[in-house]
Amino acid sequence: MRRLLAILPLILTAAVVYILDRPMGSTPALGRLLDPMNGCWASAEPTNKNFDNTIQLTGTQQPVKIWFDDRMVPHIEAANDHDLYMAQGYVHAYFRLWQMDLQTRAAGGRVSEVLGEKAVDFDRLQRRKGMVYGAENSLKAMEADPRSKGMLDAYTEGINQYISTLNYRSLPLEYKMIGFKPEPWTNLKCALLLKYMADDLTGYTEDIQLTILRNRLKQNNDMFNAHMLFDRVFAERNRGSITVIPSDTLPQTATLKAPVVPADSMMCVPLTGEDFAVNENEGKGSNNWALSGSRTKSGAPILCNDPHLGLNLPSLWYEMQLHAPGVNVYGVSLPGSPGVIIGFNDNISWGFTNNYRDVKDFYAIKEASANKYWFAGKELTYTKRIEEIGIKGMPAYKDTVRYTIHGPLIYDAHFLAPGKLKIPLALTWMAHRPSNEILSIYLLNRSSNYEQYVTAIQQFLCPAQNMLYADVQGNIALWGQGQFINKWKGQGRYIMDGSDSSTLWGQNIPVGENPHALNPAQGYLASANQTVTDTTYPYWYNGYFYEFRSWRINQVLRRTTSATVQDMFALQQDVYSVLAANVLPVVLQKLPMHTMNNKEKEWLQHLAGWDYKLTKNSKAATVFMVWWYYTYNRLASVGKGDDLKMSPERLVEMITGMDDAPYMLDEDILYACFKQASDSLTKLKKADKLEWYHAKNTTVKHLTKLPAFSYGDLEVGGWGNTVNAVKGDHGPSWRMVVQMSKGIEAYGTYPGGQSGNPGSKYYATFLDKWVKGEYYRLNFVPATAKPNDKDIKYTWTIQP
Amino acid sequence: MQLLKYIIIIAICAGIATYILPWYMAAAVAFVVTVNAKITPGKAFLAGFGGVGLTWLVVALYRDIPNEHILSGRMAKVLGLPNGFLFLLITIILGGIVGGMAGWSGGVMNKAFRK
Repeated sequence: MRRLLAILPLILTAAVVYILDRPMGSTPALGRLLDPMNGCWASAEPTNKNFDNTIQLTGTQQPVKIWFDDRMVPHIEAANDHDLYMAQGYVHAYFRLWQMDLQTRAAGGRVSEVLGEKAVDFDRLQRRKGMVYGAENSLKAMEADPRSKGMLDAYTEGINQYISTLNYRSLPLEYKMIGFKPEPWTNLKCALLLKYMADDLTGYTEDIQLTILRNRLKQNNDMFNAHMLFDRVFAERNRGSITVIPSDTLPQTATLKAPVVPADSMMCVPLTGEDFAVNENEGKGSNNWALSGSRTKSGAPILCNDPHLGLNLPSLWYEMQLHAPGVNVYGVSLPGSPGVIIGFNDNISWGFTNNYRDVKDFYAIKEASANKYWFAGKELTYTKRIEEIGIKGMPAYKDTVRYTIHGPLIYDAHFLAPGKLKIPLALTWMAHRPSNEILSIYLLNRSSNYEQYVTAIQQFLCPAQNMLYADVQGNIALWGQGQFINKWKGQGRYIMDGSDSSTLWGQNIPVGENPHALNPAQGYLASANQTVTDTTYPYWYNGYFYEFRSWRINQVLRRTTSATVQDMFALQQDVYSVLAANVLPVVLQKLPMHTMNNKEKEWLQHLAGWDYKLTKNSKAATVFMVWWYYTYNRLASVGKGDDLKMSPERLVEMITGMDDAPYMLDEDILYACFKQASDSLTKLKKADKLEWYHAKNTTVKHLTKLPAFSYGDLEVGGWGNTVNAVKGDHGPSWRMVVQMSKGIEAYGTYPGGQSGNPGSKYYATFLDKWVKGEYYRLNFVPATAKPNDKDIKYTWTIQP
Repeated sequence: MQLLKYIIIIAICAGIATYILPWYMAAAVAFVVTVNAKITPGKAFLAGFGGVGLTWLVVALYRDIPNEHILSGRMAKVLGLPNGFLFLLITIILGGIVGGMAGWSGGVMNKAFRK
């Protein structure tokens, strides 16, 4: 008995060890995690770590040399394309593997496999959107061309060779904390990553809300208001736009005829929504502009770009230089995709902003007998695609997604649309179509003049981008590039009747007829997600455009005559609010001063003499923005629900009387909004958060959202309505200024660091400069030159 | 004196074992050493606690100091602790408790089966 009892401590110990070796809910296995030898401590990278390394990379044809400068930017020198992209894959994985894994899992709806049941709805939506379907289609196109296939194969092989070196101890920290392991990389994952970007940039839609609003007005037989609303409030184009493509450079003729508008195109799809959730457009935007030599001090063009995306750690971007025979390119790459996405080479530079033409439409599907739906008077059979969603700790969930002639049924009785719409909706989306953006990047990286550039970008179909160009010969150009459909007027603005064949998407507009400009008379080109063209452009389109930043950029560039790179830095940091400058003088006059209490008057004193700049320490900025928040939400809402809001640009035009819009600014409503703002401001003041940067709390968040791995309350000014569009969790994800002089002068920074490891000193190295609005001089080594020995901090030698 | 000897033996063996094998081999080492040692269960606990705790302390410091406490500071924040030193302390205590329990198990067993 005594001996039997003596086993009890051992059993107890074994139980404790067992518990500490297993994750409990979302708590990781603590024993494994805290073990200093193999657990999280193993990610504590020595701050003076010597990164010099010799690496055996099976499959490379020649030795590859990679040198890192003092910012840990790798410069890869390879003897051929294959070795170049294999090394790039290895480097991406070495520094950013977990992020690549998670982002492609998110794209393909495979998050539940690692996070469990809570992510199932997210995964189902990704599958039903057709993310994997689209990626598979694109992959076929990518693998059909030997250049992109070779690039992908080598890149994937490089990643996989890195993964094969890993054991538990060397896994990135987040794998240990969440409790999963990397799986082999595939070319499909690269395609998924590009679809992830396409979804981020072309996923926004107002089609469903607009349809509900229109139907409500129609049911009330309120045709006057319907006309007023859709012509004036939700106009297809913003009126005061200074377009991306100046109108004097537009192609005059279209080779395709405009399709006839179907007679019953305004037919009412029987749709009723209940309390449709507000679909906030997060204001993903970007700026780019280029000046001709005539407007710069040096006489050489200057190209600038700051794409605004989610502010995350590890950063979306990874900076690098790629050098092999035929290519020498510097810029930012996307971990998970080969090549350099935004950057420059010895001859040209380029930058992207989102184009925002609508390439995503919905169809109401009329169900017929079992497994069939109506189309053109016939019953067609659904094609079924079984989506198996793995769930951590549970059996897999099988979702049958039915595909129609229009595309997948994103919503149906098994997966209700927001607002609990009952009717099945099919999705037609450009991101479903096969396209080879990888080839576009391949050619772009190697382009040395305008003709080659145009050839390169013609492969870039989705997400459509405003692609800006400048070269050392002195040219500047801008293309509103993507694949677009020759639509009938109004096609796809509302949910369409999926049983009517005239609603099908028609012909592709020839890519060469996309709006573009080369060396315009005005001496500069600028895009900031504003309307792409004026109405002289022969093809019809709609979209979700922003104007404020474009107004400001054009205002500044028009008076710029001998710009330096420093002037361009200043414009990228510009926080002058066109919104405030237009709105504030008008609304201030309408406030009933005589009835206001002292506290309310105190807020107004902040606004007296304000320069309309959303600078980081400005209290006036906070007062205005809080007031505007309430005013906009009140005035921009239509009808009883909050289903849809008019654009801020439109509201500004209406309340400032910029055009003929019949709009009466109600003083009582304005004052009520001011009172609401006053309450909020009082709370902010009590919390000592009246300074603008405190109030808006810009945070660069780790992808797990863990505050311990994130940086909050950053001291930066600006907002979505200023050129420096730093919002709460979105903002300039890469700032670049390139002067195309002989010996290219390039500057840049991004809000992160080269390492994805939260235990590395290189995790967020650039953040401080980004916050301060400072830039690094980029260490670009021309093809004909050799790097300075003093710039080389570490060297990797890769052996076949 | 004898206790110190066992602490050092466990520390060295646990270090070697977990360098190659998973973390819980530290507990196995503490058990194997104490089950063969002629010490009381109480001392066996201290030997296990001290031995594994020492290994964990040394390895954690070996990682933490050259890292200038970047990782320990962040992990402390994840657990809601005010600083990285406390995270280090928790790490060592966890290792110590696991080692101690294993040592105690060995001690009890040794006592029960002796003669």
